[in-house]
Amino acid sequence: MEFDFKHLGFTLLGLLIVLNWGLLMSALMQKIGARVARRIGIRLYQPWIDLIKNYAIRSQISHGIMFYLGPVFRFSGGVGIFLFMPLIVGSVMWSNYSFQGDLVLIMYFQFFGMLGMALGAGESGHPNSAIGISRGLAQFTAIEAPLTLAIISLAIQYNTLSIVDIVEAQQGGIQNWSAWTNPFATIAGMLAALGSMGHSPFNLVKAPNEIPIGPPTEYHGTFLGVLRTNAAILHVMEAALFMNLFFGGANNWFEFILKTFLIYFWSVFVGVVFPRFRIEQSVAWFFKIPLIAGVVAIILFM
Amino acid sequence: MSFLNLKADRSKYPQRDADGKMQIDLDSHKFVKLWQGPNHPGVTGNMSVELTLAGDEIVEAKTHVGYLHRGFEKLIERRLFIQGMQTSIRMCVAEPDSNEYVYCTAIEELSNVEIPEMAKWIRTLILEMARLQSLVRVVPGQAGTFGLGLGVQWGVYMRELILDRFEELTGGRVYHMFMTPGGVRGLLPDGFKTRMEENLKEIESFAHRIDDLIFNNVVFKKRAVDTAVIDPSWIDNYGITGFVARSAGFNRDVRKSFPYLIYDQLDFEPKVMEYSDIYNRAKVRWFDILTTVDLIRQIMRKMPEKGDFKAQTPNVLHWTAPKGETYVRSESSRGEYGMYVVTDGTNKPRRVNLRGVSYTHAICVLEDLLVGVNIADVAAVMVSLQTCPPEIER
Repeated sequence: MEFDFKHLGFTLLGLLIVLNWGLLMSALMQKIGARVARRIGIRLYQPWIDLIKNYAIRSQISHGIMFYLGPVFRFSGGVGIFLFMPLIVGSVMWSNYSFQGDLVLIMYFQFFGMLGMALGAGESGHPNSAIGISRGLAQFTAIEAPLTLAIISLAIQYNTLSIVDIVEAQQGGIQNWSAWTNPFATIAGMLAALGSMGHSPFNLVKAPNEIPIGPPTEYHGTFLGVLRTNAAILHVMEAALFMNLFFGGANNWFEFILKTFLIYFWSVFVGVVFPRFRIEQSVAWFFKIPLIAGVVAIILFM
Repeated sequence: MSFLNLKADRSKYPQRDADGKMQIDLDSHKFVKLWQGPNHPGVTGNMSVELTLAGDEIVEAKTHVGYLHRGFEKLIERRLFIQGMQTSIRMCVAEPDSNEYVYCTAIEELSNVEIPEMAKWIRTLILEMARLQSLVRVVPGQAGTFGLGLGVQWGVYMRELILDRFEELTGGRVYHMFMTPGGVRGLLPDGFKTRMEENLKEIESFAHRIDDLIFNNVVFKKRAVDTAVIDPSWIDNYGITGFVARSAGFNRDVRKSFPYLIYDQLDFEPKVMEYSDIYNRAKVRWFDILTTVDLIRQIMRKMPEKGDFKAQTPNVLHWTAPKGETYVRSESSRGEYGMYVVTDGTNKPRRVNLRGVSYTHAICVLEDLLVGVNIADVAAVMVSLQTCPPEIER
């Protein structure tokens, strides 16, 4: 394959759009949550100010090279998902490098970021980090189980692991979406989405008052900036993944923005009215209805 | 789905010695020592809990105070009676009016001052308003310890409504000092009752929304039910009072057992439940919100419109009290709140000692209650006891 600078330019432009949409979306969600709680909420441009402020601050404390590489690994995971995720159906330029990867690669990049954070946080030597790591990896493993089953079901249904092929198979009308043709995989996937988006009731990993403070205090300054940048990209990309798998992908940027907003809003909508599970409760929850839905989805297409 | 019951079996590990005490050897590397607090979002106020963990389960807990010590009692003992007011109220920021009441009443009893009837009604109104602003904050706050921030925000909003009325009545939002030795500082402003009734209606409406949001919430139930259960045998052994005792089936309420002010003229029955876990300790306080709303309505309906609100008292700069001692108690939102004051005939108290509710609940009870609890629930257990550290190190 020839290296195409034009394609690279569109990919970087796409990354810029996704980053800014992720920041705006997080501000919108916070605003919606605030209005439910009878508050005014933050200004819509606050995430940009936070990001600039974070990048302007240097950390004075050193915990070793692995500690610093944690956010870098996390960021690589987020960007990795972006690079192999098609954004707009049928557009070569807005498909990034999706033709070179498939769902297995996306799943790997999801876990890669978590492992990077685990290594980095472990290097800090703080007992809270060990608790946070064990919680985070335990929960993420539980989330992956129904999501993997849903993806296997889709792979059987469409006879491919390529996201581009899965999206194209859903074109032609809303009735062709996996949400209707494979509802059990969609249930398993969307319930897993609740966990992967990091809102209540599955956000004990970074719960401030339930011990492991997590990235906001372990990492600060530029490192926190890197993590927040990654979070903005990752949230959009996770929503885009579920959009591509279950809701027919997007034919233009407007559709992309609308669908990713609604999918991300799903986790906020649930999270705003629920407290959080403890980790063992969260693991048990994912091993019940979502897992059963995933198994049923596979059985139906075998 | 019993195979998903992941609770650890502690019957064999950690090993116990002959008298049942756990053998915890930190050098074995099977345990982790972790401090929660003093600066931690999961700790209510300035105290810390030293936790020993096996996995993420607490096997030993020790409470530590001493981060706040300002010597409230000694500060009062070195000041004129009237100057003690501003110090006494700071012994519990969340509900300072109980301090006002017990301190003023102690001075009045020792000085043989009888306060007017109108002052009794207004003091009762203030105490119930203080109870309400405290309860509407902490009941949703219980869900906040599990990450349900929406309830907390609603609680803050409800509290603001009452603080508006406090500001109108007393000029202050958090600290009021409307009670003063000999009575109160004034009558209710014009239209106060109407505005208070509007606030009460809104709070009642929110209280029912809180019921739906929290007490009918499946995740809240999963975390709060059967967590940190208080055995009924602890109630008398530890001296547990207030809502904690009532949630365990003991009808302990100073307003009923030792009526003061005009509580004997009010019709109310504090809620009693049978099983003191986090859920019921929150629920009994939710019932207390409704009871308090009703009490405020009764007070506003029955209280006289006009009347003397302050007794004739000596000049506060030259006020002396004869030799004597007294113990005054009141029912705060957390339980029995008392003050023991000794006077020696001078213009300052000889000895002041506060019986803060948290002294019992947040030291001895908390240490035992945390054993066997998941580390993620420490904050919830502390809030379920409505811990207020300044009462401990006063």
